Amino acid sequence: MIEDKLQPSDDQERNAIAATLGSGLKTEVFPRADSHEEVQQIIARLRAVDGDLTAKLVIAGFTDHTIEHGGLEQPCETCMYYLVHRRYCELPELDCPVEPEWSCRLWRI
Amino acid sequence: MANLLWLQGGACSGNTMSFLNAEEPSACDLVTDFGINVLWHPSLGMELGENLQRMMRGLVSGEIPLDIFVFEGTVVNAPNGTGEWNRFAGRPMKEWVRELANVAAFTVAVGDCATWGGIPATAPNPSESVGLQFLKRGHGGFLGKDYKSKAGLPVINIPGCPAHPDWITQIVVAVATGRGGDLSLDDFGRPKTFFTSFTQTGCTRNMHFAYKVSATEYGQRKGCLFYDLGCRGPMTHSPCNRILWNRQSSKTRAGMPCMGCTEPEFPFYDLAPGTVFKTQTVMGVPKDMPTGVDKTGYVKLTAAAKAASPRWAEEDIFVV
Repeated sequence: MIEDKLQPSDDQERNAIAATLGSGLKTEVFPRADSHEEVQQIIARLRAVDGDLTAKLVIAGFTDHTIEHGGLEQPCETCMYYLVHRRYCELPELDCPVEPEWSCRLWRI
Repeated sequence: MANLLWLQGGACSGNTMSFLNAEEPSACDLVTDFGINVLWHPSLGMELGENLQRMMRGLVSGEIPLDIFVFEGTVVNAPNGTGEWNRFAGRPMKEWVRELANVAAFTVAVGDCATWGGIPATAPNPSESVGLQFLKRGHGGFLGKDYKSKAGLPVINIPGCPAHPDWITQIVVAVATGRGGDLSLDDFGRPKTFFTSFTQTGCTRNMHFAYKVSATEYGQRKGCLFYDLGCRGPMTHSPCNRILWNRQSSKTRAGMPCMGCTEPEFPFYDLAPGTVFKTQTVMGVPKDMPTGVDKTGYVKLTAAAKAASPRWAEEDIFVV
C-alpha cells in the first residue's frame, strides 16, 4: 500500500534534495534527452553511479523548477515516472522523492 | 467435405505449433466435426515423395478439388528470383504456390511471414521473401494486388507471430462450412471480426493507461506498458485480450509489452538495437501515438489524467 511506502525517509530525502538543489548545485539541465539514444546514454551513466544521489541529480539534470523545452513544460507532475500521491519518481535509475514542479531531462509524457 | 492443403514456405513452424494447440475448435474438431479433409500438412501429412508429388499435380490440374489453400511462411524468391532456396516436391515452392492459388476456392495466409513477409522480409531480406499478397504495408506480395481466389476473395490474412490458434481454426471452419462469403476483410485482408479492435481492448491495464501510471519493469502487475516499455497495444489491431491465449492470459496480462505482431510493419524499426520493448520518444513524447490520437491532445489528456489519478491507481491492487 502507498501508506506503507510513505516512510519518513521520503520527506527527509525530499527535503535534502531540495536543499541540495537550492544551494546552487550545477546539474546537466541541457541538452535534454530528445532522442532514444540520448536517453540511453544518460540512463547508462546513472546506472554507473548507483547510489550516489548527488551524482544522479547532476546527471539527470534536476532542477527545483519546471523547465520548458520545445514548447512543452516538463514538470515532474506530468512525467510518466511520477507517482502523484507519493510525490515520487519511479524511474528505477532515479528512484527518489521529488516535488511536482521539479524537472529533469529524462522527462517523458 | 472440404479439402484443405497446408504448405510451409520460409517459416519457423510457429503457426503450425499454434494451430495444433487450437481448442475452439481444435485441429481434430476440424476433421471430426466440420468435415475438413486435411490433404497434407507439414506436421500431419502422411504422403511422401512421389505420392506427394502426384497429389500436388492432381490439385493443380483440378483432378482433386482444392477448397482451402493455407500457406504459412514467406514466399522465398532467392537466389535472384528463382526461389531455389526453398524447394518442395521437386521444384521451387513459389511455383507450387502460384499454381495452387490459381485453383483454390479460398487462399489463407497464416502468420506474419505469409501475410506480409514478417521477420524474414526485414531488411536486408537475404531470402528475397515476400508475403502472399503484401510486402509489409504495400501490395508487393507474390500473388499481386489483384489476386482473387476462385471464391472471389483476396488472400484471407490471419497475421500474428504466431497467429492465435483459434483465429486460424475459426476462419478455416467458416470457409469450410460455406460461410466464407460472410467474411468481411479490412484493407489488409484481415477478417474484421478479429482485427478491428485493438490489443488494448480488454487489457487489464487499461485503468493504468487511463490514469497514466507506467509500469517500469517486465512482469510488474501495476502500470501500463505503453509509456515506457514499448507496448504497442493501443495501436495494434488484434483480439489478444478478448480471445485469450491458452484461454487465460495474454502478453500484457503477463506483464510483457505487445510487439504489434499483427501489423504489417512488424518487426518495427527493423529490430534496431534499443527499439524492442522500449517506447521510442521524441523530446519526451511517444513517437507512435495510440491510433487516432494527436500529440497536442495526448499531452493535454496526459496532464489532466495524471492530475486526476486516484491513489489506488498507483498501488499494486492485485496483491492481497
